[in-house]
Amino acid sequence: MNTVIIGGLKLLIGFPFPIILALMINEVRQIFFKRTVQTISYLPHFFSWVIIAGLTFDILSAGGIVNEIRSWFGADPILFMQKAGYFRFIVVLTGIWKEAGWGTIVLLAALSGINPQLYEAATVDGAGRFKQMWFITLPLLMPTVVILFLLNIGSFLDIGFEQVYNLLTPMTYEVGDIIDTYVYRAGIVEGQYSLSTAIGIFQSVIGLVLIVSCNKLSKKVSGEGLW
Amino acid sequence: MQQLKLGEKSFQAVNVLLLVLFSIVMLLPLLSVAATSISSGLAVDRGEVQFWPVNVTLASWEQILSQKSLWLSMLVNTAATVIGTFICMVVSSLTAYPLSKSEFKPAKFIILLVVFAMIFKAPIIPYFLTLKSYGLYNSFWALVIPHTIVAYNLIILLTFFKQVPKELEEAGKIEGCGYFQTLFRIVLPISMPALVTVGLFYAVMIWNQFMHPIMFIDNPHLYPLQMKLRELITVTDLTSLASTFQDRTLINERTLRSATVLFAAIPILLVYPFLQKHFVKGAMLGSLKE
Repeated sequence: MNTVIIGGLKLLIGFPFPIILALMINEVRQIFFKRTVQTISYLPHFFSWVIIAGLTFDILSAGGIVNEIRSWFGADPILFMQKAGYFRFIVVLTGIWKEAGWGTIVLLAALSGINPQLYEAATVDGAGRFKQMWFITLPLLMPTVVILFLLNIGSFLDIGFEQVYNLLTPMTYEVGDIIDTYVYRAGIVEGQYSLSTAIGIFQSVIGLVLIVSCNKLSKKVSGEGLW
Repeated sequence: MQQLKLGEKSFQAVNVLLLVLFSIVMLLPLLSVAATSISSGLAVDRGEVQFWPVNVTLASWEQILSQKSLWLSMLVNTAATVIGTFICMVVSSLTAYPLSKSEFKPAKFIILLVVFAMIFKAPIIPYFLTLKSYGLYNSFWALVIPHTIVAYNLIILLTFFKQVPKELEEAGKIEGCGYFQTLFRIVLPISMPALVTVGLFYAVMIWNQFMHPIMFIDNPHLYPLQMKLRELITVTDLTSLASTFQDRTLINERTLRSATVLFAAIPILLVYPFLQKHFVKGAMLGSLKE
């Protein structure tokens, strides 16, 4: 159940983020600034989850910067990592922090492929920046977005063992234990092979069914598909 | 016309401002941890350290760097990465090359299998049992062998090999090259950009791997860096290390933890400019196929 909720949150919040970011980066005209933003935002992609979990634990700890900033406004410190209520959002946020910048690469490549004459024509017709974005950039970006979305759906249940395992503490098992971490504990640590195999196969089959059926659906609706 | 320009300008300004904010948020955690790692424990305890170090001291760093086991795991990691990347590159390119040839009839079927393996993830337990039965449990090779072929990388290479002009290979054949000579003397040198990219993909993956070590490695002497790191970060360990110090004004758990995290991040930071350039290329090559 946790798997479905966290997967859903990730899809809902995490998926649009790179798109917005890519649109913003695409509008920047100063090359140097653009490069800098890209360089910074790709960086976390190369860190392992252990490093990122270490960072997360530190900045969210009692004396970490998040609580320090809260204290400027007179709020009491919160031990975020030990509170069940925050766990899922921390998973989503760290996911965004790590991968959002990286996710923009493919989108930016698609954006740079848009014919500049279209924008010129729109400017002549009196469209401002927002209108250009809405009527030209977005529709032309749609095919790429659809494909990325399909790939995301396929890995909907595959949240990332490394991320959750490293962020999880016994206090947050109840809300954060996903299929992968459960299978790891039950299967490899405790040796209940048959039970955890069954769960694992179930997960893989669901993933496969999801991606195949979504692909069919999207082919019908938009004509775009993975294969 | 004037109005439009004004709108344009404010749009740009807001956009740049938001992106600057975003970049700052991306960098803050790193900055804060860096500051903590070189500050004195006392200042950290008092909550004085935010983004700028207070009472700069390298005590935590000295402590971390004198941990023999950390260097050992660094060595294990480096060895696995170098050996692993080499094996991966040899096997992947030898596999991708025949698959890129249309004369090779079963290629289509094999590629289909590869793509299937990419979408359908093997459940953890059967995977674990299979590899265990190969004798990889608690073996250094568990850090290397399972990564030998990654479907995604294979497809990047495949796509690239297909673009190599046929004429070149034919010219080679006329000069008397066999299949292997054609591959090593003509196709591979031409494909250097793709090879570098895929090699880096493999290297970073092996360097950062966590799932395989945690499943297969039980022996502390074989812990790769990420596992060692996790062991150190888990609070109990550092607390005991920190408590061996009488002088809590210099070192505490948080400065130690920050130094450890940063220590593990430094190798990546060092090669980052190089990585970025090639990874972006690789991400685009991979997306072409889709």
